[in-house]
Amino acid sequence: MTTTPPVDPSTEKKFSIWFFVGVLVLACGAVILAQGIYEFWHPGTTVLANLHPAFWWGLLMTAFGLFYTIHFRPGKG
Amino acid sequence: MHAAPIPAVLLLATTHLIRLAPIDIAILLFYFAMVIFIGFYVKGSTNTSEQFFLAGREMTAWVAGLSFVSANLGALELMGWAGSAYQYGILATHWYWIGAIPAMLFLSIVMMPFYYISKTHSVPGYLQLRFGERARGLSGVCFAFMTLLMAGVDMYAMAVVMRVVLGWNINFSMWVSAITVAIYVMLGGLRSAIINEVLQFVLIWAGAMLIPILGLIEAGGWHKLMAQISQRMGSQYTHLWSTTGSFAANPMGVHWTGLVFGLGFVISFGYWTTDFLVVQRVLSANSLRSARMAPIIGSAFKMFVPFFVILPGLLALVLLKDPSGHLMHLYPDGSPEVLHQGAHSFNEVLPLMMVRYLGPGLLGLGITALIAGFMSGMAGNVSAFSTVWTYDIYRAYIKKKAADAHYVLMGRWSTIIGMAIAIGTAYLVRHSASIMDYVQELFSFFIAPLFGTVILGMLWKRATKAGGFWGLLTGTVASVAMWEMVRLNKANIRFMILQPHASADTILRVQAMAANLYRAAWAWLICVAVTVVVSYCTKPTPEAQLNGLVYGCTVLPSDGATKLYEKPIFWAIVVVTVLFILNLWLW
Repeated sequence: MTTTPPVDPSTEKKFSIWFFVGVLVLACGAVILAQGIYEFWHPGTTVLANLHPAFWWGLLMTAFGLFYTIHFRPGKG
Repeated sequence: MHAAPIPAVLLLATTHLIRLAPIDIAILLFYFAMVIFIGFYVKGSTNTSEQFFLAGREMTAWVAGLSFVSANLGALELMGWAGSAYQYGILATHWYWIGAIPAMLFLSIVMMPFYYISKTHSVPGYLQLRFGERARGLSGVCFAFMTLLMAGVDMYAMAVVMRVVLGWNINFSMWVSAITVAIYVMLGGLRSAIINEVLQFVLIWAGAMLIPILGLIEAGGWHKLMAQISQRMGSQYTHLWSTTGSFAANPMGVHWTGLVFGLGFVISFGYWTTDFLVVQRVLSANSLRSARMAPIIGSAFKMFVPFFVILPGLLALVLLKDPSGHLMHLYPDGSPEVLHQGAHSFNEVLPLMMVRYLGPGLLGLGITALIAGFMSGMAGNVSAFSTVWTYDIYRAYIKKKAADAHYVLMGRWSTIIGMAIAIGTAYLVRHSASIMDYVQELFSFFIAPLFGTVILGMLWKRATKAGGFWGLLTGTVASVAMWEMVRLNKANIRFMILQPHASADTILRVQAMAANLYRAAWAWLICVAVTVVVSYCTKPTPEAQLNGLVYGCTVLPSDGATKLYEKPIFWAIVVVTVLFILNLWLW
């Protein structure tokens, strides 16, 4: 029950969990950033929309996601 | 530690709060595609039972720690506690601070070495090593039963919330979420569940953080917010401890003794140190030091969860406005205003704040975070059920000797069957919503005495097998009896709070949440008392058999930390210090 046979290298994991985190945040961030840019010309109707939260939050998420995606990309190191 | 039940009004709602834009749906679909991909991706590395049920015991401290705290960060929890903050004010923060942090640190410093070096695969597994088969059987069956019920409750809760918030069909939400979770847990076991919990953790922080930030900007800063709340609701809404000297001085009707002993000690320690759903995440760590650091990392993040759960509830007290521009009033579930006048209930405060501040894209992120939270809760329950069923019931009592691959296959099948039972539970709850309240209560019945049994087992070598079993059984039965006693007549609560002559007003003020604290404390005390008495009446276990299981009979191995900043105790002290400062600040 507790013995662990050798893992087949062809099926062993190649992606870090942090890579998945990076991809998810990058994808969401990019979409939100694009929406934020669009809202400069078509302002939203939510409270404090004048602060352009979608743009700034999307930018932050894109930067975070990009860093994690690149830093933990498969095959690095 | 579970959130407030689904309000009755949600079952009757015919309109919805949020309309998703295509961009929001794109974010949601991307998330679903990703979790399914992860399930197929990690299937190749879950070929042995150790890999399937314990993620190969190769998770780093950060991954195990985030998964540990994320397993408790479900959407029902977020929405329920945001609603509680609106209802009770800043007092709700206790459930995240004294109601979590000390227990998480205790797990790390005191209990984790025993869980880890005993190489147990589950909490019932530890009970078997320490107190024998009867204790394992009792806890295993109770736990398996409860996890399935909770998975069903999570599923139904999500479906109802999705109907109210988004207008989705209940059957559609339940089946899509159940099939998605079943696929990724069946394929990837705990490893898949943990990866998704880490993703969910990031999503929740990213999706929910913006609400308090924008709210504080709108309110004009923290001090102005507190001043406005005090002016509208009274200063008891803005203090953590100073109003808990009497039951009548605070909106929750709780005394500091209930908070410290009931919540801070019994319920919190019971949940965070013996509920296998969360402990399983830490058991997946790749070393003893990682296993000890994981709860500390989790506690550091947990300490700041009130920022995006409690704070939105407080902000809503003074900022949430109806379409005419007047301050919006939220009401208790089932109140006439909610049922007949279309008013919103406390538990809707988080979606309402999302609508207030989040436009397209950001709203999709927030909704995806909520759905991820629900699915993560289901996955946590199902993966824990699968482990306890396979290790502590199937292998222990049905098929004792089989090939490792057989147990992995049983783990995959029990995931599917467990999810099918959870769907049945969800439909059962749909026809009788009060069942959900009972399920959440039932869970707490078992956790408080279980903590008594485990802690005595680890710290007191004189505790015997008979003592452990009878203490656990008596404590659980006593907890059920107390709950029934109060259900039949609420006035009986005066015995639980040790105020037999309490006035009708005091009894009325003690909310169900406060009553739970006292019931848990009594259940724990009864469990401990019975365990001690029975142990002294029975033959002690030879010390040689307690090696690796009990303090005083075990030489604890070094966790390899040499420098100060590598030692778990150092970081535990840092977390405690910050917790202390935060409590003083909001005293």
